[in-house]
Amino acid sequence: MSLLSKLAETLICLKTERATLPYPAEAKPVPEKFRGRPIFDASKCIGCAGCANNCPAREILVYDVCQEIRIIKYLGLRCTYCGRCADVCPEKAITMSHEFENGTDKIGDIQQRLELFMSTCQRCGRCFKEPSVLEQLKMKGYRFDDLQNERWIFRSQARLEGDAVVDDLKIEMD
Amino acid sequence: MSAIGMIAGGLLNVALVLLAAPLAQGILRKITARIQSRQGPPLLQPYFDLLKLLGKEDIESGEVPGMQRFAACLSLATILAVACLVPMGFFAPMSGAGDIILLIYLLTFCGICTLLAGLAAGSTYSLVGISREMMGMIALEPLFAIALVVGALHTGSLRLDTVLQGSAYNAEGFPWSGILMLGVMLLSFQAFVQRVPFDIAEAETELMEGPLMEYSGPKLALFKYAQMAKLIVYSALFVTLFVPWGSELRFPVGWLFFWLKLSGLVLLVTVVAATHARYRIDQALRFFAGLMGVAFVALILASYGH
Amino acid sequence: MWKNLCQKMFGRSLWVYHANSGGCNGCDIEVLNALTPYYDVERFGIKLVGSPRHADVMLCQGPAMRSTAQALKRAYEAMPAPKLVFAIGSCACGGGVWFDSYSVLGPVERIVPVNYYIPGCPPRPEAIIYGVAVALGLVNKKTVPVQFKELELPIPRYHRSELRGEGELVVYEKAEKI
Repeated sequence: MSLLSKLAETLICLKTERATLPYPAEAKPVPEKFRGRPIFDASKCIGCAGCANNCPAREILVYDVCQEIRIIKYLGLRCTYCGRCADVCPEKAITMSHEFENGTDKIGDIQQRLELFMSTCQRCGRCFKEPSVLEQLKMKGYRFDDLQNERWIFRSQARLEGDAVVDDLKIEMD
Repeated sequence: MSAIGMIAGGLLNVALVLLAAPLAQGILRKITARIQSRQGPPLLQPYFDLLKLLGKEDIESGEVPGMQRFAACLSLATILAVACLVPMGFFAPMSGAGDIILLIYLLTFCGICTLLAGLAAGSTYSLVGISREMMGMIALEPLFAIALVVGALHTGSLRLDTVLQGSAYNAEGFPWSGILMLGVMLLSFQAFVQRVPFDIAEAETELMEGPLMEYSGPKLALFKYAQMAKLIVYSALFVTLFVPWGSELRFPVGWLFFWLKLSGLVLLVTVVAATHARYRIDQALRFFAGLMGVAFVALILASYGH
Repeated sequence: MWKNLCQKMFGRSLWVYHANSGGCNGCDIEVLNALTPYYDVERFGIKLVGSPRHADVMLCQGPAMRSTAQALKRAYEAMPAPKLVFAIGSCACGGGVWFDSYSVLGPVERIVPVNYYIPGCPPRPEAIIYGVAVALGLVNKKTVPVQFKELELPIPRYHRSELRGEGELVVYEKAEKI
């Protein structure tokens, strides 16, 4: 442990410029394909719910108020910003923006809710039934009204000592 | 000097230590940050830290909460008691009241407060921390004691003011023992002020902060204050004993020289702390054992007049 | 007077305890990145401490798991008041993609009350610093709930005002058949 080598090391370290990015004052620009918060463009959305089908965290919920009105709700609680919804959207209504400054004190601040008009069949006025059982299975995956009877979601039976832990995730409607 | 003068001088010393200690710590953190190429906290950050800690809730926890309180108050109290005895640029009027045995006793007592703190917590991490601290203290405190005893041998008396005024160099022959003790103290100074590479027991991320694990709020503020004050007090002692040239001048110049030397020492501590890694306890003990051998040689030389 | 001063100093020197209760460590690495010289948070006075009793802020990462739930709750209770909890990452904010797994209880707020959420997978170090700045009141938050309603239904025979609800079902008052 020679003192001179340590002094030399100190001088080398001091010669380096200060490397700190003064963040809130000056930000580094994000790379081009950066996936930040997804933004839903309601004027382009046709309500196909392909995004909801593909979301790995089941973050996008679909609720049909009546045959003609569909509510698509992006909760933002557990979105992992993977971008699958944007990839699959046929109308390119979802864009992954460059917003990453999402810190907030109420998690409900990140939600986006679209109420859309869905046209029915022009001849008979009803929605058609899905042709095969496999298609029916896909439709059940994300429909909000089916979430109560959902067999695909396991609920943990764990309890903390003293207080019952599990009541279901409250999904705010309207 | 009159009693009021002595008490006022002592209180002035205490106030100086209390004001300067967080500033020294702030300078230390800033320079460490600059060596690591980053911006670092503002200079007054330790003052903010202490004020914030004083405003937090006081949780009593661990095996023996009463001893927890006792250890926290005692550590700061002993360091301030030492501050009354140590000259801070001008000669401390109270040092005539004690001898070097009192100084050694008070300084060791400050280390014992950490041991009491760890015992009060009683968890495994704190017990491991205090066992390491105990081993370190056994090897370390004799070094400083020998430095003071060398000074006492030269002047022939155990009184604190004669020893401190005489410094370690006023032997009859050539002061070999003084120079040897200077080397020993420089090499082991980091351990006295509890900085890397020798801060084995406290503030260590390996042991979840070791003995101080169960402290929160105001009591933690007392311990942190004691740690910061140790730097100033030990530096003052070192400067008085081993670098006494220039302090005999008249009031403003001598005082400024003293604080200049003290800041030079703080700078040295910072640079060493920022560029080294922490030693394991067995490596540290071997290091101190080597230094103790050199210190004994210095003691023998001192008793022969060198 | 003293109390006010001490409370004002709370924002200037936050000591942070890092508690990962079962995550993948991606957010851990981002938090550690925030402590490196490039994004240096120590210039705000933030310091990483090893014991929850010394800390003011608990950074929770990872969802609440069955095995670590007790430990997380005890770490929260060990912190002295005033304290804050930040949930960092999608797993801590809402359970992440693991929300329906067999060992995951859900988001961290099932166990400890959370004050601030910083979503992301993992959030960039700048996003974490921004979240902390929102908590300290230095900047305004940039998120707001967005809602879009089609007020005019495009096909003339459907009017919103004629929606009538009957329990679970919502029907039109006049249904015209073609």
